[in-house]
Formats: sequence, structure tokens, C-alpha cells
Amino acid sequence: MRRLLTLLTVLACVAVSSEPAAAYLKLGTRVGTGTVNLRWDKLPVRYFITNAAGGGVSATQLRDTVDRAFDTWTSVETASISAVFGGMTQARPNDDDGLTVIGFVNQPGQDRTLGATSFLVDTVTGEITEAEIFLNSFFSWSVAAGGEANRFDVESIALHEIGHLFGLGHSALGETELRNGGRRVLAAEAVMFPVAFSAGSIAGRTLRADDIAGISDIYPSSLYRSDRGSISGRVTKGSQGVLGAHLVAFNLRTGKLVGGFSLSQDGRFVIAGLETGPHAIRVEPLDDGDVESFFDLTLGVDANFRVKFHDRIVVVPRGGGTGDIQISVEPK
Amino acid sequence: MSHRCFRYGLLWVLVLLGARDAAAQVWVGRSGPRAGAVEISAGGMWSAGQDLAERAAALTPNPGTGSSAFDLFRSEPTLEPVIGAQALVGYYITRAFAIEGGMQYSRPTLSVRLENDFEGAPSLTATTDITQYLFTGSALYHFGRSPRVTPFVAAGAGHLRDVHNGNELIETGVEYHAKFGVKWWTGRGRGRLGLRAEGGVSLRTGGFNFDEDRRLVPTAAISLAYLF
Repeated sequence: MRRLLTLLTVLACVAVSSEPAAAYLKLGTRVGTGTVNLRWDKLPVRYFITNAAGGGVSATQLRDTVDRAFDTWTSVETASISAVFGGMTQARPNDDDGLTVIGFVNQPGQDRTLGATSFLVDTVTGEITEAEIFLNSFFSWSVAAGGEANRFDVESIALHEIGHLFGLGHSALGETELRNGGRRVLAAEAVMFPVAFSAGSIAGRTLRADDIAGISDIYPSSLYRSDRGSISGRVTKGSQGVLGAHLVAFNLRTGKLVGGFSLSQDGRFVIAGLETGPHAIRVEPLDDGDVESFFDLTLGVDANFRVKFHDRIVVVPRGGGTGDIQISVEPK
Repeated sequence: MSHRCFRYGLLWVLVLLGARDAAAQVWVGRSGPRAGAVEISAGGMWSAGQDLAERAAALTPNPGTGSSAFDLFRSEPTLEPVIGAQALVGYYITRAFAIEGGMQYSRPTLSVRLENDFEGAPSLTATTDITQYLFTGSALYHFGRSPRVTPFVAAGAGHLRDVHNGNELIETGVEYHAKFGVKWWTGRGRGRLGLRAEGGVSLRTGGFNFDEDRRLVPTAAISLAYLF
């Protein structure tokens, strides 16, 4: 009935390596031949902080910082989520103790992993019953308001991991370059991008449109249902659907970017949580992160096609979906 | 379908006949518009295009790269010039002053140039059509006493209704306009046919728009008019 689904979410400055997981924009777990999205059915999420310092940050500082990160997520007005601090604990993350614990753990063997989130889920319903976040105290950390050189920002990384804790997968809304055998992020427009900014940066403390759309899609508020819309369609190459194509909807009025994937063998996609109005659509292969950071490798993601724009402006209606967008791509 | 056309046609004739009877007292023996006259007109209109706010699809740069900006691509949207249709009904309060209401219909094209893609996506221009309705009310002042050529100025306000995607998104707004023009009348007495040409500016807020600011749109129209 239940099993431990471990999702290692990796944030590294030079490279990413993660356990295979069903990580889409929304995390999911396979049930039979289908996929059930992970989400908390019982809110607020009650979390505990491990009473241990790490990486130059005290447990109290960690508690205050994690509290701010939770506030950032729960302040999204188009999402109905909540969390409450349960107290300090001697328990460590990854203990199977029924508690949702966040804390520092020294993992020198994971020298490219800043933090990770794991879950205990009901694999029938997709309900998350317990989650754990560890921050790797192998690295140097900072909670300074303006960040500190050569130290990773606790709030930025906690914000990313708490996104996973609520059920969000990775976003591909960013650009990277291969460097020194690893991957360096050039720019990103989602807290949920799998590769962290360089040490010292605090840019990851602010949710972007893509993050807000994602969390709102999992926990929609009444405002979300009435005010936001979606774009759906299909990406094809020849006569075949394209699985794993990354689509970006660009709001021509606001400049906001929201991403999504084609998630079926026939290339169907839905980009939800969009503000109303005209959008340009761009489709690209998944090439700015390791595929396994997003998808189960057995799915057979197709990255052999050229990036392109859709030739029609797509107008998103309020509280509904826009018709069937057909995008045909060419092989590289 | 033909039945519906017939009914509209019959209604139109009845309206014209009724108006001729009512206007007969006003027009007998006179050579120019007078108080109580009714003018109807229909024709084509033109609305100027508009360059809308350019935007970059900006990503947040990684400070570690030393870059202060990162654009995934750039967009240059334009609302194309459009030719549409308009219909007006006016009522002369005095020989010089009239009020009128009307409707404009057009289907402007919104296009956006997408270019400078970081990953080399071929630049292209994406488009969509908007169905635009403008319901207006205006006050007109006519100059001169010529029975044939009547210059006029007009000002008023309107309700803008922009419909996207087969009624899936409707955006409304307010419009203010000022225009000048000339009416050229043929014949004499009641039941006169005329040509009406006008140009002006339309100040619009709301509706389909990229900026919160008001936008000024040059307009022009030419119509066949009938005065009775």
C-alpha cells in the first residue's frame, strides 16, 4: 500500500546528478499504468527543524530562514496551501519517524548536492504523508540578508526544496552551459530550476511566474480557478508525438514566462496557471539539465529536434483553456 | 437565411418610409439640415496601426557569470492598421448641432516579431486576429450654411469591446474621440443622399492593450449618408 519514494533533488553549482524520479512540473508516482500527482491532502503541513547547526548556520537561524521560505510559498494568492512550525527536534531528516523534518546533514559523498527532499507517499492516492529536507552541511551556508560570498544562501535552497515538499517537480526554465565536466547555470526564471545559482547569490529567494503557476496548479484557490487559464495542444515531429518537449508560454503584456512539458507519447501538453491575454509559445528540446532531473529515463524523452516558435499568438481566456495548439518540430 | 434577410429588408423600408413622413414637415422648401432631421450613414473606417511595448523574455542571470541581463528572446508586438465598417444614426437638435450614435466593427491583426533567440530559434512573426466593436456617442457641430457642403467637428465617447479567440476572452474599455469632417449632399429638399468623410483621433483605455497608459489612435472614415 505504501512505499518510500525517495526523490533526491539536487542543487549544485557545477553539476547535477539525481536519482531517477517521476519529476514533472508536478511530481508524480506511478500507480498501475497511470500517474498520480503528489500532494498534501491534510494541511497545514506540520514541519520540524533538526536542532543541529551546519555549514556555519545555527539551528535557530535555520528555523527562521525556513519559516520565511514557507511564508513565501504560502503567500501565493492563487494557491491554497499552509504550513506550521511544529518545533525543534533531535530527529534528523530521512529518519522514518512520521515527522516532516528539515535540517542539516553532512553528506560529503554528495559533493554536488546542496539539498534534497524525500517523501513518504501513499502510492494509491498520491497523498504525501511525510517529507524530509536535508541541506548538505558539507557546503558553507549563509543566512545574511544580502548573501555572503562563497556561501550558499539557505533561504534560496530551502525555497526550492520546499517547492518539492509541496509536490512541485523541476522547471526547465533556464539556460546552462557545460563547464569543467559539470553544468553551470547562466540564467533561470524559476526557483524550481534544478541547477543552483553560484554561491553568494540570493536571487533564488523570489518565486517566479513559473513557480507560482505550478504550485497553484496543485493547490488551486478559487482565484486561480476563476482568473487563470491554460494552453493545451500537441507537439509532433513528422507524424509522431514528441514526449518531453519543453514549452514556454511568454505573456506578451507582462513578459512573464511559464513552462511546461509534453507529457505523453502522442506529444500532448498543458501549460496551466497562465494569466489572461496573448502569449507567444516557444518549444525546445530538454537540453539545459540532465534529463533524469525531470523525467524517468525509461520514458524515452525525445530531445532530437530544433527549437522553434509557434507561428500563432495564443490568447489565454479567463478561467478556461485555449484550444488545441498544434506545433510541428523538425529533427536536428 | 433568405427569410431573415427579407424581414430585415422590410423593416428597413418601413423605417425609411416612416422617417420620410416625419421629416417632410422639416424639409419642405428648405435646402439644408434643420432641427429634427435624422441622418443615417454607413461605410468604411480605417484605424491606424500601433507599435506596442517591446518586451524581452528575460531570465534572471546567474551573478556568478558576471552578466547583468539575460534575454531568452525578444518580442516586438504591433497592432496592424485595419479597415472596418461603421454605421451611424444622428439627430439634428438645431441646424448646426446634432447628436449621433454609432458602431464600428473591425478585425485588426495583432502580430509579434519574435527574434534574437538565445538558442537560435528562427525568427518569425506570430499573429492573431481580434474582433473589435466600438459603440460610440458623439456631439456634432456643423459649420456654414451651404446646402451642399457641410464641414463639421465632433467629439464623444465610446465603449470598446475586443473579442479574442471566438469569444473566449473579452476585454472592454473606454474610448474618447475627436474628429472633423465634411458632408457633401446631393439633391434638394427631403430625402437627400450624401457622402460623409471624416478623420480624427481616438483615445483609448482598456480593451486590448499592452500598457496601462492611454493610447491615441488616428482614425478615418468615409460613408454614404442619407438625410431625411
